[in-house]
Amino acid sequence: MNTASRRMIRFLIFIVLAIIAFVAMYPLFYMAISSMKPTIEYIKHPMALPKTWYFDNYQALFYRFSLVRLFGNTILYVGLSLVASLALSIPAAYAFAKLKFKFRNGFYVVMIATMTIPGITFIIPNYLLMSKIGWTDHIISVVIIWSVSAVPSTVFLLTSLMRSMPDEVLEAIKMDGAKYYQAMFKVILPMSLPGVVTVSIFNATNWWNDLLTPLIYLQSDNLKTVTVAVATVLNRFSSDYPLLLSGLLLASVPPMAIYIIFQGYIRKGLTIGAVK
Amino acid sequence: MGLKQERRIGLFSLLPAFVLLAVFVGYPMFNTFFHSFTDWDGVNSTFIGWDNFKNIMSNGDLPLMLRNNLIFLLSVPGILLISLTVSVLLHEEVPGWRLFRSVYYLPAILSSVVIGFLAKSMFTNRGIVNTFLENAGLGAFTVDWLNTVPTEFMILILCFYWQTLGQGTLIFLSGLSSISNELFDAAKIDGTTWRQRLMYIVIPSLYPAIFYFTIVNVIYVFVGLFGLVFSITGGGPGYETTPIDYMIYIQAFRSGNMGYASALSVFLFFIVMFITYIQLKISKRLEQ
Repeated sequence: MNTASRRMIRFLIFIVLAIIAFVAMYPLFYMAISSMKPTIEYIKHPMALPKTWYFDNYQALFYRFSLVRLFGNTILYVGLSLVASLALSIPAAYAFAKLKFKFRNGFYVVMIATMTIPGITFIIPNYLLMSKIGWTDHIISVVIIWSVSAVPSTVFLLTSLMRSMPDEVLEAIKMDGAKYYQAMFKVILPMSLPGVVTVSIFNATNWWNDLLTPLIYLQSDNLKTVTVAVATVLNRFSSDYPLLLSGLLLASVPPMAIYIIFQGYIRKGLTIGAVK
Repeated sequence: MGLKQERRIGLFSLLPAFVLLAVFVGYPMFNTFFHSFTDWDGVNSTFIGWDNFKNIMSNGDLPLMLRNNLIFLLSVPGILLISLTVSVLLHEEVPGWRLFRSVYYLPAILSSVVIGFLAKSMFTNRGIVNTFLENAGLGAFTVDWLNTVPTEFMILILCFYWQTLGQGTLIFLSGLSSISNELFDAAKIDGTTWRQRLMYIVIPSLYPAIFYFTIVNVIYVFVGLFGLVFSITGGGPGYETTPIDYMIYIQAFRSGNMGYASALSVFLFFIVMFITYIQLKISKRLEQ
């Protein structure tokens, strides 16, 4: 192939990729732009740019839907779930990766097998269990369900990363007679930090975006998460699309910010499972 | 740390995780299995044997739900093909490819709820899609998208594609980057065409990635569509766009038929286990 036609092909590829990028991004632009319109203008000219930038939809969300509380709730639930799932997973992953004990592989297989169980098979009895001990409509139910159901996949990812830790370092600590928790906090945790960050990003965005779990367990409006509030409370005003769209935009800001900051980790985390 | 101590510490490290998994995953799973044989409203349950399963088979819900899941299942090869094509094009590394790669992934980070409501607002009767068609002189093609069954499915599948493109692209790109340059250059020297290299080097080396992507998304169309269906169609009209997982939610938490919903869950459990079994079989063969 000569250079002229090579260039032509590369240019065509560029055009195709740019069109796909436009298609992927357009709904997001549309969401941002429409949220800045008064309802009447949105109905009359759904495609046009707003005539004046109008922030009343955001003000309405702030005052009428106690936005701060919704965000506070979600951040609190996600934060507690992160702490709980890591506290459960890190010791288990370290044990699977580096400690020698009986039935280690058996336990590992059982743990990984639970990854494949669809969440819906245990949601009904869990709901009834939670309501029996009075934990429905309480944050503890969501935190428990989120953190426990994330344990198998978290352990899986952390174990595969910890296996590549050099044994020499661990042996050296053992020789020095260090206690388990010293090794844990001074060596293992710092060394596995990139893996912990990767898996935490995945868990945090999954939980932030989750609808089913908080929808079922939390009934009061003042306990809801952002995602559930958008899907239920805001949907009662569904004829007011600019208001709905500004809610959607606010609900997407945290995951998008996480993605933009931690792109590299996300790419790594996504491909660990796929390509051996 | 002695050997004996190491053994003890190892087991103790697993204890909290396993206890909680047993309480909140293991026990409720068996509970679901048990209650799938009962008529259960959440408080009282009476044992009714196979009646729930017979009901599922005979009341017409099953063919409808399976049809709905099958429609989504048949849409998986489409997104596989699109992601593959896009990543092969991205792999040519034309200017801006890094930016494109990031842009494609952005929708994948959003909640299904956001994607669903966003699509819903675009496809309403006076929404942006119909306005665009009218402005483009295609007024004859405007449709009441959200109130007819085939277009509702189309929108759901479109959202599924929009969500999944970035994930597929990243997975296939990392698969492509693991192809050795020597192999590629050697093939070039041997005078192979671009298409031959694609068919005999690129695609075969992507088999594990293709396989992984397919399985993940096949499972997703059985257990992950809740958010999209909830926000776009609510399963309606009737149950026309209700896949199994959404039906379980309706039966359990709207209608209070916990026993019937449990039976559906058991049904879904076996579907997912069957897919996982096939996955294990094939991945063993791929390793050889």
